[in-house]
Amino acid sequence: MAGLNRDALTAIVLLIVEAVFLQQTFQIREMSFATMGADVWPRAILIPLILCTLGYLAQSLRRGPDVVASENAEAGETVADGNWLYRYRNVFFCYGLFLAFLLTLDFFGMLIGGILFVFLALTAMGGASPRALALHALIAVVAVGAMWSIFTFALRVILPEGVILSTW
Amino acid sequence: MWIENVLGAADAVFQLKNMLLMTIGVLAGLIAGAIPGFTITMAVVLTLPFTFALSPIEGLSTMIGVFVGGLSGGLMSGVLTGIPGTPSSVATTFDGFPMARNGRPGLALGIGVWSSFAGGVISAIMLMSLAPQLAKIGLEFGPNDYVSLVLFALTITASLAGEQLLKGMIAGLMGLLLATIGEDSVNGIERLSFGMEFLESGFAFLPVLVGLFAFSQLMSDVANRDEARGRLMDAGAKSVRVEHLAAIREIIRNWAHLVRSSLIGAFTGILPAAGGSISNILAYDQAKKADKNPEKFGTGVPAGIIASESANNATAGGALITMMALGIPGDIVTAVMLGALLIHDVVPSPSFIGDQPKLAYGIFIAFFFANFLMLAVQSVALRGFLLVTKARMYALASVILCFCAIGVFALHNSTFDIWTLFIFGILGYGMRLLGFPLAPMILGVVLGPIAEVWLNRAVSSDSDPTLYFTRPWSLFFILIACFSIAFPWYQKAKKAGKGWADYFIPGLCAVLSIPLFMMEGTVRPIVAGALILVAIWIIVKQRKAAG
Repeated sequence: MAGLNRDALTAIVLLIVEAVFLQQTFQIREMSFATMGADVWPRAILIPLILCTLGYLAQSLRRGPDVVASENAEAGETVADGNWLYRYRNVFFCYGLFLAFLLTLDFFGMLIGGILFVFLALTAMGGASPRALALHALIAVVAVGAMWSIFTFALRVILPEGVILSTW
Repeated sequence: MWIENVLGAADAVFQLKNMLLMTIGVLAGLIAGAIPGFTITMAVVLTLPFTFALSPIEGLSTMIGVFVGGLSGGLMSGVLTGIPGTPSSVATTFDGFPMARNGRPGLALGIGVWSSFAGGVISAIMLMSLAPQLAKIGLEFGPNDYVSLVLFALTITASLAGEQLLKGMIAGLMGLLLATIGEDSVNGIERLSFGMEFLESGFAFLPVLVGLFAFSQLMSDVANRDEARGRLMDAGAKSVRVEHLAAIREIIRNWAHLVRSSLIGAFTGILPAAGGSISNILAYDQAKKADKNPEKFGTGVPAGIIASESANNATAGGALITMMALGIPGDIVTAVMLGALLIHDVVPSPSFIGDQPKLAYGIFIAFFFANFLMLAVQSVALRGFLLVTKARMYALASVILCFCAIGVFALHNSTFDIWTLFIFGILGYGMRLLGFPLAPMILGVVLGPIAEVWLNRAVSSDSDPTLYFTRPWSLFFILIACFSIAFPWYQKAKKAGKGWADYFIPGLCAVLSIPLFMMEGTVRPIVAGALILVAIWIIVKQRKAAG
């Protein structure tokens, strides 16, 4: 695997996913009255998709291993060093906080959960000095409060209330 | 009848509520366009959740306002700082920024604002006159022709990925595949749900779109910690007085550039997937070639700003022509609008203008009116937009992420849609990192169900596959699809000076004449003959130049 470049690995993962999808098309129920079965269209997409991915794999293999990756390896830098984790820490913070927001949505609800998410995301990316914390809290309350009010009162959307607000 | 429809549509568009929504839309578009890293598509995508509670005409008018505003908003940052707010205004910076540095920022902005307005109005006139005619041609299409048209739309989108053609094709096909998950759109049979209950009805269009495009774009914008913390723009946020009269005089003096560039913009927009990011460069290049003093381009000449700004605004009208006449989105923004129409159970097709005349004429009028609103709002609130660019990206991203969650939840009142947003947010960001273009995937998601319905109709009426090659329109689209796939190789070969590249365009003209000869009537065979003459003329010209 060390000799494979990033594109070749991507192509292999794609081929596995496509194979799973292709296998699933054989599980689709057949209808006697249908002129075109429900499995025809997905297969008509999957066949050229697999061919394109094979072409992509061949193209990637011809190119050889990633230069940057091997240079990094020579310099003693590996993925395990966590450089990429550090480089993309803002992205990981955002995805992590969004996941936490989703998992706790039933408890906090959209209003409190949204305020907490925005406040924590702002603080994770923008720093946590006392002034910044106050500013982040203000932005979170005003922005999420305004959005929540527009959807609740103007557009009449019933947003998740959460345990705290419903109890209160 | 026609007048009745126009008056009915005008009545709906000029309602106070609708005009207010359009003004807010234009304002939001201008702000989004002015912020580097914030695309027009993202602005239109984020507008979509608000349109559920609105009528179709109100929702579409608002989105058109955002679209028109966004196309013009990019010029402000481009002129004042040299950083284009959107890819649609890249060429504006070539002459706009030098003119501003030469001490005429007010004139540069004025030329940009008025050129945007004029380009928009010209394309609105084209939209009103061409869309009904193109729709009449569209009525000739049978199911086979439609399947080929969708194939063409997808291949041309993929070919725009240039050297990454295979990645573009894979992304487009993945979009089509994603759209097949859940109930089959013809017979309602469950498929590819992997036994998971929440996948039985498939993914909703909006969370997929917002996740793929907006969520992943925001992650790209905040990935660099230092850039995310810095102000969006530090320079240029000074008060500038727009020189309206001087700008109008310059535009009148350069009217030929204005008309040519507007036409280039509108026709680029008509092509599926080719948007303002291409048209502004194309129009600038043509203006430079046609001008008496091409060497002055890049030093701050009015013609450069006129070409770019009129072309990018005219693209919007062109994209709407394709969507309204054929039911095929001209670019991602019109794909989102098509999604908005589908949410309101309105299916655009060649019969759309005939079946929904008030809505169709309402879109025409709204687009026309949006250009006037853009002119007014941009002239009045220029300073306000510049203040917005003082914000920091991490603050905008955090708030918008929360808004995305609320917006997609509002569609079906379902938490599953927020999970979909999250999953596609990760997928979209991964695709960006790996160099996969997102536009083909989004078009695939939108066009997938439409293509399946037409394929089913084609199989039901006649399962003979040779029909795809014997029906003139189907053959026409298949041939252009083949050439669009080969286009990246042609570009590479042309740069490398390979001989076969000289025959690509003549070959395209000659090959396209075949289906046109097969069509009934007298006009189309004459056009076919003209295409062959053009092919011969290009070859002769190239031979002379070489010899």
